[in-house]
Amino acid sequence: MPDENQGPSSNGQIAGPNRVVGQRVHRYGGVDRVTGAQRYLSDITFTDAAHVAFATVPVGCAAIDAIDTSPAVAMPGVIAVVHADDLPQPVARFGISHKDRPVIATKAVNYHGEPVVAVVAETEDEARAAANAVVIHYTELTGVYGLDAALAGDARLVQDPSVRPGDDLNSTNVLEQVEYAWGDADSEGASSHTIIEDTYMFPMVTHFPIEPGGIVAVPTDDGGIEVYSPVQHPYLLQRTIAEVWSIPLSRVRVIAPDPGGGFGGKQTPRYEPLIAFLALKTGRTCRLVLSLEEAFQMMRRSGCRIHARTGFTEAGELTFHEMQVDFVVGAYADVAPRVMTKGSYVGAGPYRIPRVSINARAVLTNTVPSCAFRGFGAPQVGWATESQLDAGARALGLDSLEMRRRNLVQHDEAFIRGDYEARADGRWHESLEKAAELIGWHEPTPSGRGRGISVGIKPGATTGLSQSMVRLLYDGSAMAYAGTSDMGQGARTLWKQILADELGVDLDLITIISGDTNAVPFDLQTSASRSTVFMGNAVLAACEDIRDRVLELYAEATETAQSELSHAPGQLVTPSGAISLVEAAQTALGGLRGEFVGQGTSRLWGTKGHPLGGDASFYEFNATAIEVEVDRVTGEILLTKHVTVGDVGTEINPLQVVSQDEGAAIMGLGHSLMEQMLFDEHGQILNLGAIDYRIPTFNDVALEMQTASVENHDGPGPYGCKGISEGALLCTAGAVGAAVADAIGTPVRDLPITAERVWRTIRDANCDSPD
Amino acid sequence: MASYCRPRTVSEVLTALAGAEGHGRILVGGTDLLVHLRKDPFAPTVIVDIKSVSDFPPAVEIGDDVVRFGPTARMAEISSDPFIADHLPALCASARVVGSIAIRNRATLIGNICNGSPAADTAPALLVYGSSVTVTGPGGERTMPLVDFFVGPGQTRCGPDEIVIRVDVPIPDRGHRSAFQRLTRRRGVDLATVSVAAGVDADGGIVLGLGCVGPTPLLTDASPPVDLNDPDAIEGAVEELVSIATPISDVRAARDYREAMVRVLAVRAVQAAAAPLEGMSS
Amino acid sequence: MTDSPVRPTSEVPVALELNGEHVRATIPAHRTLLDMLRDDLGLCGTKRCCAEGECGACSVLLDGELVNSCLVLGAEADGGALLTIEGVSMDGVTDLQEEFLAAGAVQCGVCIPGQVMAAEQLLQTNPNASRNEIRDAMSGNLCRCASYQRIVEAIQNAAAGRRTDA
Ligand SMILES: Cc1cc2nc3c(=O)[nH]c(=O)nc-3n(C[C@H](O)[C@H](O)[C@H](O)COP(=O)(O)OP(=O)(O)OC[C@H]3O[C@@H](n4cnc5c(N)ncnc54)[C@H](O)[C@@H]3O)c2cc1C
Ligand code: FES
Ligand code: FES
Repeated sequence: MPDENQGPSSNGQIAGPNRVVGQRVHRYGGVDRVTGAQRYLSDITFTDAAHVAFATVPVGCAAIDAIDTSPAVAMPGVIAVVHADDLPQPVARFGISHKDRPVIATKAVNYHGEPVVAVVAETEDEARAAANAVVIHYTELTGVYGLDAALAGDARLVQDPSVRPGDDLNSTNVLEQVEYAWGDADSEGASSHTIIEDTYMFPMVTHFPIEPGGIVAVPTDDGGIEVYSPVQHPYLLQRTIAEVWSIPLSRVRVIAPDPGGGFGGKQTPRYEPLIAFLALKTGRTCRLVLSLEEAFQMMRRSGCRIHARTGFTEAGELTFHEMQVDFVVGAYADVAPRVMTKGSYVGAGPYRIPRVSINARAVLTNTVPSCAFRGFGAPQVGWATESQLDAGARALGLDSLEMRRRNLVQHDEAFIRGDYEARADGRWHESLEKAAELIGWHEPTPSGRGRGISVGIKPGATTGLSQSMVRLLYDGSAMAYAGTSDMGQGARTLWKQILADELGVDLDLITIISGDTNAVPFDLQTSASRSTVFMGNAVLAACEDIRDRVLELYAEATETAQSELSHAPGQLVTPSGAISLVEAAQTALGGLRGEFVGQGTSRLWGTKGHPLGGDASFYEFNATAIEVEVDRVTGEILLTKHVTVGDVGTEINPLQVVSQDEGAAIMGLGHSLMEQMLFDEHGQILNLGAIDYRIPTFNDVALEMQTASVENHDGPGPYGCKGISEGALLCTAGAVGAAVADAIGTPVRDLPITAERVWRTIRDANCDSPD
Repeated sequence: MASYCRPRTVSEVLTALAGAEGHGRILVGGTDLLVHLRKDPFAPTVIVDIKSVSDFPPAVEIGDDVVRFGPTARMAEISSDPFIADHLPALCASARVVGSIAIRNRATLIGNICNGSPAADTAPALLVYGSSVTVTGPGGERTMPLVDFFVGPGQTRCGPDEIVIRVDVPIPDRGHRSAFQRLTRRRGVDLATVSVAAGVDADGGIVLGLGCVGPTPLLTDASPPVDLNDPDAIEGAVEELVSIATPISDVRAARDYREAMVRVLAVRAVQAAAAPLEGMSS
Repeated sequence: MTDSPVRPTSEVPVALELNGEHVRATIPAHRTLLDMLRDDLGLCGTKRCCAEGECGACSVLLDGELVNSCLVLGAEADGGALLTIEGVSMDGVTDLQEEFLAAGAVQCGVCIPGQVMAAEQLLQTNPNASRNEIRDAMSGNLCRCASYQRIVEAIQNAAAGRRTDA
């Protein structure tokens, strides 16, 4: 239930009778989630389902010599044992920007965990036992597991050049590269008083959703297929299945149960084409439920090495910033090239810099293919840029807040220059000042502690298409059809709030339909915190469409001139006064009843030639401030305070804004302090599973934590909102790093800043110091 | 395929183990065993669930000189027992940090040592108190010092057809004090990177139990009496004692970090043990 | 149980009290309580993530005590009394669950049944838990959406509510 307090000002919109936008409306689907009734993929029962298990080899790079399936075939319950030779030849490859990922490992294994054989059996146990019995003869090859190995002149190629025909880079392990530059190199030399040059590392981390995920494929009577997968982009999956197996889109139905955590890890298809093949081949419903370990081997954030060189005037103004940014993207492209281009586009941060030069590369290695992950490349590059600013501040004896004040752009000022410049779409100084105020920046730091403040930006979506349909039913209830998948950000709650206000319908009488390509109109994707803006506008437009239709039919039914009528959120204004839209609708529909159907589309065209495909529709901006206490002997870090402030435009649901901000901020502590995937010399993941891959727990949250928003109602979304939900993670590392450096007197340049790294840094600093 | 049985007496346990021909695995809390089973679910393991055995010693029995723990003594009980908190504070503290509440509701003390992990959190404290282990098997009953029980990672002197029937922990003299320290990678539930229990006797003699710095939990010799008010003296004594540590690098930490931390934690444990003398009930 | 307890069997009959009702199943010896609940008894409210005791998604109360059902064999629950999230929710949303919703603690929601079970046990064993005690007691339940602050708030509010009701 909404609580009593009034929401923020409506930015010029007329407040309807049930103004719920801006209120703490409880999460849609919340009751099912607290009672355990919510059905995630693995909770759905399928009659007569067969089960799938994979077999692979324990190394990251190998040639497959022979596969002996006979021991598995002979085992109880086994229906099929399939490997590359059993698929139509050549084995199809798929992917968004590069069609490089084979449906199943073909002749070679390119990363630890890549499925080589798929077993279909009557029960999960039988499938697993048979998968264990498969014998894969392989020859381990010298894989490339790190950047230096991958970029060495004689490096083994992760992808055969034939996978990337016609690509200039196909004889290297560089998948793609991009360069951003502006300013004149000759002009700044004299003005730089201090130059800082260093190298920073950001680890490979994995999403670790509490629902590891899975896939179910059901063959249909018409030769088509239904695929159940908790994907963030059902339409992309539909298209992939249709293309790989040459089935018309109309016969590929994707049902996307709400993901139990996505964070970017459940966007793109991986094993779905294979499971679909198994279902088509066996004629059985095929079900794969992933283990957490398998999820680790399916999704991760790209690691990154950044070499940066930055100039400052004596007053701390940035003069230039140069970066070589190398993303460790893994064995297949997935969306990594875009992570690289987008993350490095904003690599120089929201600052006023006369000259910038960023060279970024997406580098292939024999590791799990990396994909989208909250922040999408921005946290990686931001770690280096923010650390450079702090190093500059230290060298110049400047306060790091002051350093940011001097360089952060003002509203509408360009922070990316050159042909495709970008200007600040928010009043970002307000967020910075608020974060400083909340952490008590001007009060002295308690002894033994250190403080850091950091900012981050991330471009929102640059192109997009969301379509929505809304139905206003005769009894005053309503339905919205919106493809956005609700993975935790609570998208449907927002649609409900919009409908409630725009149509004047009770929250309880609204149903949202999503996650089924047979029922819901097209939505490009749920990513880049786009949904509130794009789908939100589409839903809003659909509601307005309904009000237009109600007005028209009401005019006809009551023989009133349309010009004498107008509508407002939740209302139809008639010559004798305003009536509720529902009442107007009932009058208009009359005895035959029926319903109103509204449509809304929100489309953002790209810009030809733009490195991102178009201007970002908005920027997520965040300022984070952190205070830590460091045990200088063990290196252990205690977070005493953690503050984040986001520039959100408008809070449509303050409860969800807090959840998202805290969630992102705490997730950011993961890569800052403890998370990293570790590989051995055979490319095996050493910490495969929950025991040794550490993520933050209740006890790892700061003793005091506070999130806040700046609301200027200046976003492109409904009621002036912007996308949120990634912001608070963008600069966590920068703030933690600065706070630790402040406490120990020396920066740590490699993430995560584990106790061991802090200890090592202090020890090395002591060795280096002259005394 | 695994099989399962639930014997009611110690002799039935031994019969079941004998019949399992080396595949028998005793199950109590299961917090280690089920993790192993998951990795190899189709091995012919014979799971011998001993929770219904009626002729075990009681879980926790406080005698005049010893505290006796039976095979069903769980971390939850051990960490909340006021007598243990008072007289065996290092054991109490170590039992309190094993896993989460849900883990401590199942995990047993004897399971912790039988698993044979160098990281077993209760082992350093048990070693410091001079605990002994009693094993029963086809060849009868044997009692040995805990320090002799550990053989190597995952290996103990309890044979595949035997069962540890009890652990006896001598109750230290009034002047004896002890403390436990451990280092983890995060603040919530975690396995130790290094752990140390320190025992300090009335004369200032120090004994240390060390976790995660050797193939088994380690017990040092006793140091000569040390002036506990002199930090340098403590450091010097600790330096001598921890020289038995032979840590390795693994996914949790590198060797040099462990080498340094075992010293730090040992000093801190000695200081913590020495500190609360005044006003303590024991 | 079987009449000869010493003879190991690979298929184990299990009878237990599940959310107040007597249920029976015959399961393979290696099957965990978690898998038995989900796959054999059709109760999917208890979630599976790590399957090795690290995440708490599978938390249930066995004979009144919080356990990770992925670390208990189904066979071990024979003769026991089990409370799962379905049992907790039998009469609708509880005060605690209501506080979860009001505090904004529910994001993707997949960890929430486990969180509710752990929180329920905490409220019963330590009704006056401090913030730090709550954090400590709940540290065996991971939430990747990191609703931690919200959950602590929900538990504090539920505890306060129960104190005034008492
Ligand atoms: C999530 C998680 C966190 C953990 N955290 C910690 C931690 O912080 N610190 C720590 O030390 N450990 C930790 N552990 C490990 C584990 O909980 C402990 O080792 C526990 O004490 C084992 O006891 P158990 O009763 O569960 O043993 P079980 O799993 O039942 O048995 C363990 C082993 O000992 C054998 N065994 C048990 N009893 C006997 C007996 N009487 N005679 C002969 N053999 C026997 C079994 O056959 C088995 O091989 C953790 C485990 C998990 C899953
Ligand atoms: S599934 Fe049981 S604790 Fe993670
Ligand atoms: S709500 Fe998503 S994991 Fe907790």
